[in-house]
Amino acid sequence: MHKLLRAGVAFAALPLLVAAVASGSAGRAAQASDTLVFGASADPVVLDPALISDGESFRVNNQIYETLVAQKPGTTQLVPGLAVSWSKSAGGKTWTFNLRRGVRFHDGTPFNAAAVCANFDRWYNFKGAQASSSASYYYNVVFGGFKNPGKGLPGRAKALYRDCKARGQYTAVIRLKRVFGPFLGAMTLGPFAIASPTALKQYGADKGRLTADGVYQPLGKFGTPDGFAVGTGPFKFESWRVGDRLTLVRNDDYWGEKAFLRRVIFRPIADNAARLQALQTGEIDGYDDVEPQDIATIKRSKDLKVLDRPPFNVGYVTINQAVAPFDNLLVRKAVAHGLNRPGVVKSFYAGRGVVAHEFMPPSVPGYSKSVPKYPYNPARAKALLRQAGLTLPVEVEFWWPTDVARPYMPNPKNNFQAFAASLNKSGFKVVAKSAPWRPDYLGRADQGTAGALNLLGWTGDYADPESFLGGILRAAKQFGLENNPIGTKLYRDLDRALAEADQSKRNAMYRRINNYIMQQVIGVPYVHTMPALAFRKNVVGYKPSPTLNDVFRIVKKVG
Amino acid sequence: MSVAEVEVREVQLEAVGGGLWREALHRLVRNPGAIVGALIVATFVFVAVFAPLLAPYDPREQNLALVAEGCCPGPSRAYPLGVDDLGRDELSRIIYGARFSLLIGIVSVTVGLTFGLLLGSIAGYFRRLDSPIMRVMDIMLAIPGFLMAIGIAALLGPGLLSVMIAIGVVNVPIFTRLMRGSILGQRENDYVLAARAVGVPGRKILASHILPNAVSPVIVAGTLALATAIIDAAGLGFLGLGPQDPATPEWGTMLTDTVRYLQTAPFLAIFPGVAIVIVVMGFNLIGDGLREALDPKLRGRA
Amino acid sequence: MLRFTVRRLLLLVPILLGLSILVFLWVRALPGSPAESLLGERADEQSIAQIREQLGLDDPLYVQYWRYLETLAEGNLGTSIATRRPVTTEIRERFPATVELTVAAGIFAILLGIPLGFFAAKRHGGIFDNSSLVLSLIGVSIPIFFLGIILKWIFAVRLGWLPSIGRQDVFIEAEHPTGFYVLDGVLTGNWRAAWDALEHLVLPAIALGSIPLALISRITRASVLDVQNEDYVRTARAKGLPSRVVDSRHVFRNAMLPVSTVIGLQVGLLLSGAILTETVFAFPGIGTWLQEAIQNRDYPVLQGGILFVAVIVVVVNLLVDLSYGLLNPRIRLAGR
Repeated sequence: MHKLLRAGVAFAALPLLVAAVASGSAGRAAQASDTLVFGASADPVVLDPALISDGESFRVNNQIYETLVAQKPGTTQLVPGLAVSWSKSAGGKTWTFNLRRGVRFHDGTPFNAAAVCANFDRWYNFKGAQASSSASYYYNVVFGGFKNPGKGLPGRAKALYRDCKARGQYTAVIRLKRVFGPFLGAMTLGPFAIASPTALKQYGADKGRLTADGVYQPLGKFGTPDGFAVGTGPFKFESWRVGDRLTLVRNDDYWGEKAFLRRVIFRPIADNAARLQALQTGEIDGYDDVEPQDIATIKRSKDLKVLDRPPFNVGYVTINQAVAPFDNLLVRKAVAHGLNRPGVVKSFYAGRGVVAHEFMPPSVPGYSKSVPKYPYNPARAKALLRQAGLTLPVEVEFWWPTDVARPYMPNPKNNFQAFAASLNKSGFKVVAKSAPWRPDYLGRADQGTAGALNLLGWTGDYADPESFLGGILRAAKQFGLENNPIGTKLYRDLDRALAEADQSKRNAMYRRINNYIMQQVIGVPYVHTMPALAFRKNVVGYKPSPTLNDVFRIVKKVG
Repeated sequence: MSVAEVEVREVQLEAVGGGLWREALHRLVRNPGAIVGALIVATFVFVAVFAPLLAPYDPREQNLALVAEGCCPGPSRAYPLGVDDLGRDELSRIIYGARFSLLIGIVSVTVGLTFGLLLGSIAGYFRRLDSPIMRVMDIMLAIPGFLMAIGIAALLGPGLLSVMIAIGVVNVPIFTRLMRGSILGQRENDYVLAARAVGVPGRKILASHILPNAVSPVIVAGTLALATAIIDAAGLGFLGLGPQDPATPEWGTMLTDTVRYLQTAPFLAIFPGVAIVIVVMGFNLIGDGLREALDPKLRGRA
Repeated sequence: MLRFTVRRLLLLVPILLGLSILVFLWVRALPGSPAESLLGERADEQSIAQIREQLGLDDPLYVQYWRYLETLAEGNLGTSIATRRPVTTEIRERFPATVELTVAAGIFAILLGIPLGFFAAKRHGGIFDNSSLVLSLIGVSIPIFFLGIILKWIFAVRLGWLPSIGRQDVFIEAEHPTGFYVLDGVLTGNWRAAWDALEHLVLPAIALGSIPLALISRITRASVLDVQNEDYVRTARAKGLPSRVVDSRHVFRNAMLPVSTVIGLQVGLLLSGAILTETVFAFPGIGTWLQEAIQNRDYPVLQGGILFVAVIVVVVNLLVDLSYGLLNPRIRLAGR
């Protein structure tokens, strides 16, 4: 039977032969210098900016679509986008945008005021599943309500938007129902990008149904893997094979400075270690959310480099006051003293984190330098608990999310374990609970049904305190602030600050609010981080945005 | 799972009686592989049982200062196998991990064996119940074992208990089939017919003739199932369905946590992985040895 | 033979039905209702109640099951929550990848395992025999994902010999008429694409095929050892037939019967091993798909996907049984 044996051996040796032939290639793929391959953590959900709220969807959508107001790459500074200038009425409720001329959508439709209003009206008219937070999260957060969304969804009474009128071709006038300080900042958000009205209609962007499983299934083709994602941006959609790759090509008719890269390809790689390995072998050119322990490895490598994302986030532990005995301020103070924040920040962030003392980073106006601080002190925590009349140890249900890495929390499991251990030393007895990030953990945390303490965090969307304080603390159920005098006062103060037109008065108000939040220990912020991206050395020009609004237009590959 | 199934299909027993065990033991002792396996398993059990005495540190005690410079300091005099990303002693965690693996293995195989033997005996001996029981078993066997374990663990909610139950349930149809097949095979055997002809009551036939012979392949399968249980538990842990308390020093979950450190601290993944491989090998060796010892075809040869 | 076939086919029906009931009940019993996972993180009482009504989740179980069977009958396996696409579409896109991987793993296991086992049996007791035993022992004792990680680390990251993820290099432009990348490359004459796809298959196939390899080599060895000592082989040898002829005509052919049984049984093992292997290599097949669904609580995917995999395993096992019946006259005729 030697014949078969020989054949078998030869065949088995084939892969080795292959390996030998291909050996020595550190950069496996033939790296075309006009194409960038980016390792995303997942596919975008859909290429319809109005219906997205997750980072990977933003990453791709922000290259195809543009907003009226833009951010200078790498900063939160507001610069002209599709609007070249803007003005606010005296009452503060009417915004006039002067639009850029000579811009066309990728399908040739001219960009004008009618197109802008078509988009704003489209969002306002969302119904049913499209109007729910799970679809149009940012519209809900910023504008609050819709014209006629259906049962159980916020309607006209809550809506911030009144109407949009086109004055001529290039002036769009947007009227709001009340003063909204951060309106311009909000207009830089990806979900408020302008899509081609022709394409929206032609490809049935609003056609959808609830399937037998209750999933909102787009029945139209807009923004699906079939294509038809039509914006004004520096890149156009080329193709999308779900789970494999999404390809964008340069828009050679772009109104501004054209992109250097001819193509950008996004490959979804769920596992972080796999992303690093793909970068090392040259199969991708870069990725986001580098884990702290890999930073040294990347810096040591002669082909790779680390890029810093300016810090604009906060990691925190929520305290649910609706759960006894956390309605007692002494107990909340004990939690603050019982969390080993310095230890966690030092050990799990590779030197890229600083201990946080309030719910916004120092770079945001309204940051208060005089908030009460709670140093790690197990003895003090125990004393406070006894003072509150409780018998030690006090049981506390502490939830943490599995299967997720966030810029402010690269390894929730480690943060949790360290915090749990320090709480256990501080007179508590931690009951550990966990759930997958989406949908369970976030859902429960939002509803306030995830025990007493949750590990969470927030990256700011625009440079305004409302983006942080509003975004984080308006989830009343999460912090047990419903039917709670603390909540009532907090929201009243926040709303007042929102409606204040004078900037320096606003900042002072927010400083006072921050002091109040930390006096009441509504939650315990613990870290601001500087997230990291990794790229091959020949990728230049990438400017990481603090608000995750990275642009690929200015990126090029050398050599 | 099909390992056990397949391996045992090779075993066909003939009737011998009490001499079976003595002969088997005799052969087992002469099998070098089985000796090695026995040594490994004995060490494993010893370590598991005496973990508190053997481990130099508390496996859950964190020491954040050790990892302030990043993960992770490797083997040193104070920490022979290094420390993990929370500053816990790796050696102690490996030692205590033996407890969890042993526990998972024993409980899940016991669950599978108990229900399997019961159902198998019933199916084998009572004609009327044979078909319905075996149909249900067929359906369960239709789903690949690990997939079903995932399903059950997801159903019960992730955790140590769920893993044990899941693997146990997956083992039930295998043992049922085995037991039933064995019993059916025995029933028609000459010595059984002879015994019945002589007038020995059915119960006694079952107890002293059928069962001892039918049980041998089950013992072999059980040992091999222990090996598979430990591996599958690691797999479930890898998928996030294992013990949810992150401090638990279970080898499978220790493996998941450390994949991310493969480039900076590979030893964190290598030690638990190698531990699993060695222990599983031990059980496989004993199982193989038992199979060869109990295989009548080898009887009469040197 | 016909009776045998018909009997096995009839058995198929209750098994498939039973599977559908099992999967249906399983999904309904999973912790966290479909409603909550559908609404995502903004699930509140009112919306949950609304969805429950919409989906008819409060109807009695048998009504829901009947509806489920009806949708199954029209070939509708549901819609993924994560991607909002029909489950059938996702399966159609991902299944060929897994098939290609399992076939590659199977070929690897068979082409390496049979010769290894055969050779080991011929050199019974020697170094080769013992090392092959040790190797196959390690093969069944090492967790697949651990092996995959180690392989990836050594061959992709450290040595750079092979790619670490995916099915195909990003820069290869290729058509995929069948969905099996290697085949597609050959069919379209795009040799570079075929070669590249092959390179991407090597490491995952080795990891996935490690257990079947170990099993096949062991069974082959045991089987050959058995057959070698059979009377008819001894007779053939005594007759003076050259070793090679004896081996090919008598030993090999007869030894292969139990081996082919084992090979057939590997399908279930391979498919469930795919979940662990694909994850390590970011291979876009059914394995990664199901694993993500578990993490995302994507119920329709779990329901449709697991049912699909189970049905495939059942059907393949049936085919294996039937072909085994064809090959082995003893089984065929035993039905009488």
